[in-house]
Amino acid sequence: MKYAKLLKCIRKIPGKLRNFNIFSAYGKIGFVFVLLMVLTGIISVLFMGEAHKIPSGASLEAPGLIHPLGTDDLGIDILAQILHGAFVSIQVGFFSAMLAGIGGSTLGILAGYCGGWTDKLIMGICDVMMVIPQLPLMIVLGAFFGPSLRNIILVIVILSWSRPARIARARVLSMRQEGYIIAAKSYGAGFRHLAVKHFIPGILPIILVSIIRLISKAIRAEAGLTFLGLGDPTSKSWGVILNRSINFSGIYYTDYWKWWVMSPLTVLILLVLSISFIARDMELLFHNKGDKL
Amino acid sequence: MKSYAKKHYLLVLLAVITINFFLPRLMPGDPFLYLSVEEGEVAAAFSEEQIAQYKAYYGMDKPLYMQFYDYILKLLQGDLGYSIYYNTSVLEMILLRIPWTIFIVLCALFLSSFFGTLLGAISARLREKPADKFMYLFMVVFSEIPSFLLGIVFLFVLAAKLKWFPLSGGITIFAPHTSMLSYMGDLLHHAALPIITLTPAGLGNFYILARNSMLTVLSKDYINTAKAKGLKKWQILYKHALRNALPPIIARIFLSLGSLFGGAVLIENVFAYPGVGKLMREAVLKRDYVLIQGIFLTVAVTMLLMNWLADVIYKKLDPRVFR
Repeated sequence: MKYAKLLKCIRKIPGKLRNFNIFSAYGKIGFVFVLLMVLTGIISVLFMGEAHKIPSGASLEAPGLIHPLGTDDLGIDILAQILHGAFVSIQVGFFSAMLAGIGGSTLGILAGYCGGWTDKLIMGICDVMMVIPQLPLMIVLGAFFGPSLRNIILVIVILSWSRPARIARARVLSMRQEGYIIAAKSYGAGFRHLAVKHFIPGILPIILVSIIRLISKAIRAEAGLTFLGLGDPTSKSWGVILNRSINFSGIYYTDYWKWWVMSPLTVLILLVLSISFIARDMELLFHNKGDKL
Repeated sequence: MKSYAKKHYLLVLLAVITINFFLPRLMPGDPFLYLSVEEGEVAAAFSEEQIAQYKAYYGMDKPLYMQFYDYILKLLQGDLGYSIYYNTSVLEMILLRIPWTIFIVLCALFLSSFFGTLLGAISARLREKPADKFMYLFMVVFSEIPSFLLGIVFLFVLAAKLKWFPLSGGITIFAPHTSMLSYMGDLLHHAALPIITLTPAGLGNFYILARNSMLTVLSKDYINTAKAKGLKKWQILYKHALRNALPPIIARIFLSLGSLFGGAVLIENVFAYPGVGKLMREAVLKRDYVLIQGIFLTVAVTMLLMNWLADVIYKKLDPRVFR
């Protein structure tokens, strides 16, 4: 019973999105592209098996009928790698954004509600996180934790929870001044009741937008880290492909770069742009024209 | 406008030092084995006394707070330790490399803030016209693209294919430079692509900020007064409006430094530019933890110093910030 309103609020969001026409033309394109990437990721995992790991042709073949995007130096089909990379990127983006969004907003609600030293502590850490050079810190953490997909997600979460925390805190602070919260409190509502019934439904839309932005940030960060060689070489993400192709010794003097470097690069850019288009539309949808990432 | 207090800088510095201090101590395994044994090698067996002696030598037998105190004391003397792989002083290695990074970061910061503000002002004047709409969309899209990907495109198209720029490095090795001018030209020629790549990352932010700030200022009464006085359009725009729209833009410089440094780390690796970012990647590949930590600390300190400098300049420019 207690969670009824929360559930209703969550249910309302797909309702709002059901009408596809609320998206702008760019938003629609973005949505379709993200959907396509999710699908290709799923297809590659379900049906293509180990095609992204096992050589299936001569090394460094030019694009042709059997290998639409050619093969890399080990003779592995590049298209299969790109398709599998979609799965890795979306996995990283989704999980790190979800964890950072949920964790960050929980801390933000706590900070806004409790005030006092809890607030000071959480906001102090937030401030530090905002100023600290993020990528170097990611590299340090990544180097110490060791290369694996789970650790990369962990590192990204550690560095990106501060934004949703800030947003949630600001919202909770302003909500606390409103009549219905004061009324609920005077009836003896505790923190759990307030959080589930009022705070979470109240912050859900803006947190959702910030989670979508975090997805794009996480994908960019993952690509950057793996490009630097901090990725797990066995989980072929787009950054890993880029790293491998750029460091191939003859890459500047041959035509291989046209498919080997450009294909992961293009899908990466397209995915990041698509997500940002969706985020912009969602922002307008929820009437939140606050600061951007 | 938010300006960062001194307390803030100290807090960040403390956080960086604490992370640096505790990370190796949180690692699984023995710190002294990790210093002396390569991955995959069989560790030599040490007797209890030997281990105790080594621990005493490295100060590992002291309580944790004493170790922390010693660590800070060493840092204050400028001792960042010795690189595991290169066997030289970490500080010296970093000091050789960091001017390169600061150079491209500052150039990109200047270019992106200058052109971002200029385009933002123009866009605000042409508000709601097709040119403004197009520019807005273009900027928003452009700033989302990760700069190192842009750098790879530039590298292959402009440097490898068209050969307008050198492929890598910060300077032509062994090239005879007869005059200071040719030396500077060579430096700029090598730095051009990294700077061009790094600029768009900040450009969009500055553009959006300048546009919003200008739109607010342009709706103020004194702009109407200026119009009524019959001043020329460009005079109103650049003398009256832009000046008042500047403070939030300058304040943004604080926040954009961090992302620029991050971008520079990646871009230096794309262009093999001899800055701190490239050193960091080398350190990562060699698993040279002491060097990685040293670079992290130095980058953080450099960033904080530049922040502080921008803060001082900002207060000089805008007396309203004095509190």
